[in-house]
Amino acid sequence: MTEERLGDDAVAALRAIGLRAESARRLELGSAEAVLRSIVDATVALFQAEAASIALYDAASDRLVFRVAAGHQGQGVVGLAVPPSQGLVGYVYTTGQALALSDVARDKRFGRAFAEQTSYVPRSIVAVPLVDEHGTIGVLEVLDKRDEAAFSLRDIELASVFARQAAVAISASRVERDAAALLEAVIRALVQGDDAGATDRTVGELVSQATASLSGEDESRLWPLVEQIARIRQADPGQLALVTDLLAVLATHAERSARGRSRRR
Amino acid sequence: MSELDLPAWSEPFTGGRRSALARPLPFEGIDRTWAFDGSDGSGVTVAIIDSGVERDHPAVGGRLVRSVRVELGGEEVEVVEDPEAIDLVGHGTACAGIVHSLAPAAEIVSIRVLGPDNRGKGAAFAAGLEWAIDQGASVVNLSLSSKSDAMFPVFHELADAAYFANVLLVSAANNVPGPSYPSLFAAVVSVAAHDVADPWTWYYNPAPPVEFGAYGLDVDVAWREGGRILATGNSFAAPHVAGLATLIRAKHPGISPFEVKTVLAATATPVG
Repeated sequence: MTEERLGDDAVAALRAIGLRAESARRLELGSAEAVLRSIVDATVALFQAEAASIALYDAASDRLVFRVAAGHQGQGVVGLAVPPSQGLVGYVYTTGQALALSDVARDKRFGRAFAEQTSYVPRSIVAVPLVDEHGTIGVLEVLDKRDEAAFSLRDIELASVFARQAAVAISASRVERDAAALLEAVIRALVQGDDAGATDRTVGELVSQATASLSGEDESRLWPLVEQIARIRQADPGQLALVTDLLAVLATHAERSARGRSRRR
Repeated sequence: MSELDLPAWSEPFTGGRRSALARPLPFEGIDRTWAFDGSDGSGVTVAIIDSGVERDHPAVGGRLVRSVRVELGGEEVEVVEDPEAIDLVGHGTACAGIVHSLAPAAEIVSIRVLGPDNRGKGAAFAAGLEWAIDQGASVVNLSLSSKSDAMFPVFHELADAAYFANVLLVSAANNVPGPSYPSLFAAVVSVAAHDVADPWTWYYNPAPPVEFGAYGLDVDVAWREGGRILATGNSFAAPHVAGLATLIRAKHPGISPFEVKTVLAATATPVG
């Protein structure tokens, strides 16, 4: 089994997948959760919010599943699975439209339903889609700014941009995690029908071939991103790298909010 | 664009930034009295493509005349009657309520494109829009958009088809960076939220793609199961402009989509 037998396209595809698999190795498997966690932690800090959570769409169950939460009031939501056809989170996921609701408790049904699911009734909610290059992958929800009754238009826009960055990081970590398994599956399919006994060894060789030349390469802008995510993982509990990146945004935002407040009143 | 490099479609319509919207060329003779005074939207049908509209919600005033939903079965996309007229979110009812509050005599048709099965949601949305155009709705309110490249030509064709069929599309701008269809097409009236608590305040922005700013901050809207809620977002600004367009089309039958856009610009809240 050689690269020649696979054809140029297949080799190119393998190299691409190998690149991602190598990323997965650098990140170590299971890093997606850490990336998610760093995002909700940073969100709580950014908005001075009571809670933030991320729900990702799970195609197998056709549900939006809350994967992580941060903040004092956030934890009750983790593990909750909601249909994408229902409720605020479902709406934001399916339409890609960012929304905020305030004075939530006034609608008793809404408040009760929320409390039954999460044991916490917020005053206000902002929910923005997590959108990567391929579409909406989930929803970032932020509950209750500590010092304000409601979220502003600027908060929605800021959360939307933040969610965009977050989605790119999430899909990077997720794609790479999946890629290792995908690479193996693709190669297994390609070598099927050959000497079945040699399959395992062949797969191993091909994976090595596909990734061997990658480690020193500087051609891809992927590596800085990968290194950055890897750093964030190690920066626990503060996930300082991401927060540092956000400080400039936060400072500008705070300045604007202050200006906005003095203008309104 | 702001210093934050946000998409910030609301930015030109908020606070101190508004002074940049001052127009050098007033449209003489076209004012709000001429545009829609005395109009209540009668004779105009507004299609709400959204999560459904609750027929019995007080905010809709009994003006929901038809309710359909898009069903996806494999490759097949079908628009079927939806006699239950439910709204699993509240958003579509909110939009219908806003239109009704401005144009109380307009007839409302609900096209539910968000259902129990959301696979192929872009396709469902497109099918709903195509149906609204085929039915000859005067005004279509779209709080949704698609980011899928595959949907670009589909929505582009539908936006043109609507324009040529004399159907006015009013679309909420999306806050997420990147392409968004059809909200950024020239043939649609694209709307973002402003921060003035008044449904009769709207701004015209001569710098496209988002040409209009309307009430969308802490709007008291209808919500599911007969409720109400305070809601913020561009998707609550769009139905305000849809309602205004409805008043204009009711008073001036035969007025075309680009003429409605022009009248909306001419009668926008003055700045500066």
